[in-house]
Amino acid sequence: MSAPLLHLSGVGKDYAKLDTNAGRVGLVFDLLRGRGVTHAFHALDDISFDLAAGESLGIIGENGAGKSTLLKVVAGVITPTRGSVDVRGRVGALLELGSGFHPEYSGLANIDLAAALLGLTPSEIAAKRDEIVAFADIGEHIHDPIKHYSSGMVVRLGFAVATALKPDVLITDEVLAVGDESFQKKCVAWMENYLAGGGTLLLCSHSMYHVQKLCRAALWLKDGRIVRHGPSPEVTQAYLAYHEEKSVGAKKPIAAPRASAEGYYAIQSLTVDPPGRIAAGATLAVRGEVYSPDDRVPVVLIGLVRADGTPVYGVATDMDGVAPVRVRAQRFAFWLTFPQLPLLPGKYLVRAHALDPEGVRLFDNVEQPFVVEGTTRELGLVRIGHGWNGSETK
Amino acid sequence: MASAPPPAAPGVVASGTSLPLLRHRALFSNFFRRERFARYLGSVSGFAWAFLHPLALLGVYHFVFTTVFRAGAMNGKSFLLFVAVALWPWLAAQEALQRGTVSIGGYAGLIRKVAFPHELIVYASVAATLVLQFVGYLVVLVVLALFGEPVRFEGLLLAIPLWIVLSVAITGLALGLAALQVFIRDIEHILLPVLMILMYLTPILYPLSLVPESMKPWVAANPFGYLVDRLRDALLDGQLAIGWGDAAAVVVALALFAAGRWVFLRLSPHFEDFV
Repeated sequence: MSAPLLHLSGVGKDYAKLDTNAGRVGLVFDLLRGRGVTHAFHALDDISFDLAAGESLGIIGENGAGKSTLLKVVAGVITPTRGSVDVRGRVGALLELGSGFHPEYSGLANIDLAAALLGLTPSEIAAKRDEIVAFADIGEHIHDPIKHYSSGMVVRLGFAVATALKPDVLITDEVLAVGDESFQKKCVAWMENYLAGGGTLLLCSHSMYHVQKLCRAALWLKDGRIVRHGPSPEVTQAYLAYHEEKSVGAKKPIAAPRASAEGYYAIQSLTVDPPGRIAAGATLAVRGEVYSPDDRVPVVLIGLVRADGTPVYGVATDMDGVAPVRVRAQRFAFWLTFPQLPLLPGKYLVRAHALDPEGVRLFDNVEQPFVVEGTTRELGLVRIGHGWNGSETK
Repeated sequence: MASAPPPAAPGVVASGTSLPLLRHRALFSNFFRRERFARYLGSVSGFAWAFLHPLALLGVYHFVFTTVFRAGAMNGKSFLLFVAVALWPWLAAQEALQRGTVSIGGYAGLIRKVAFPHELIVYASVAATLVLQFVGYLVVLVVLALFGEPVRFEGLLLAIPLWIVLSVAITGLALGLAALQVFIRDIEHILLPVLMILMYLTPILYPLSLVPESMKPWVAANPFGYLVDRLRDALLDGQLAIGWGDAAAVVVALALFAAGRWVFLRLSPHFEDFV
């Protein structure tokens, strides 16, 4: 097996935090003396991964997570502060719309510029020019200055340049989002073709659809660090779950006045009984109250999860055909018991969510921790009834 | 797709100790054309300006020095020729330094998005200015000769190498200043008055012999003054002999280039954050 096409090891990038001009002068002296940046903001920290030829990696994360910085480090635009980047091959980078194009130049002149930026010699550029023009397929506009182009035409040209030069690794940013539906399809089709032909892709996208469709692996960045790196369905689902949880918001109840103002159904209280600690196999009771803005009967979803977020079991009132009991105007009570709780010893959470009466919209997420105590050496989350076929040892 | 990847990745260039001019000559010529394009409407008018600007300046200097001041002769030579031979290299150096210092800013968009050796920008900027100014220099010499001034054209055999030495020194200075300008925006504003003062402290509009004895060593210590003297030796007197002073000038120019490039390469990995 040959070495990976792309090898990042402990890559970090610091940006100087400067607010005074004196700071700038000091920074110049520090840099000239070969010192690093002091007072730094860590845009990337300890990023390590390999990408072998023919693999595809999607980079996902929130705005400001460091995705673009990471792509720029791989493209060579940014020199990492720490760690090393080894690229064995030609990198074709398509970072941002029309990056590297000069607005006053014609399409043809920009093709020459882009090819020169990729390090091609004049004769290589001449040999490639017609191919790129044909791929871009923007007709006579190729002779007009880029500033008169529509954004779709700029993307076509940029895509044609980046792809026609047959990069060993193609790096692309959010560019797929620009351009009309048919162009996006053309791009995706080209990339699938490129991947099928053994191309290597590093894609950064907010579209989980594109990441799942084009990338076998995904890497989730948060605050410049890797949260998770693995098969793309797994990572994208974890990322989406994180977002759901974030949008569902606080783990504390949403107070009735706010719930009323926003028209939310909201859990008002949640208690577990016995509180805090429960012996393995004992009965757990979950009780609470839910607020209904229009006094209709809400659906309540109760879940048991391990403290690290692994779901164990979840059930909603409408699944079992029951309804919370109206205790007064806009207030409904729920009471659920788990007899002989089969959870193995460990830390768990009860989660309660209020849903609208149709059971479609989920409004909140209220949690209550509890500990299951016991001395068993069994492994896993729950005790599953079983029987061995053998003789007893004692 | 099974072929071995090429040894060098064009995407990862940034640093390196070898001169990237040769490997990236296509990019250099692209930048060179862009520098001319940015300055004029197009290549035709750029060519015209190369002639018109020096000729207009020459006309003004003729009016001021020969007609108004009646400075007919200087050390037995035509004063106009005496000034012209030294003034153009100075104007060339001044313009190249000023443009070179601010050249990085014009490529901010590119620096933030594409990997390429940033020093090419400064090379292209300085080269575009110097080439144009050198053409203007030749035009001025030819026009002066046509008007009967005693230009010794064989002196170009020494003048051209002197221009090359000057170019190397100016490129080095421009590299250093351009890198500093990215971080400290005041550089370009400090540069203008400094160049102005330096011009009057250099024996360009006057001969060193007119400087009072007590101040002569200071004025003579100016390296540009040395270059001016040598150009006058060559083009006014036709002296082509070279000496140790010229070797020293070459060493100084190479040292300036090495120092400027060292500063530039130290700072250029951080441009992307500051342009």
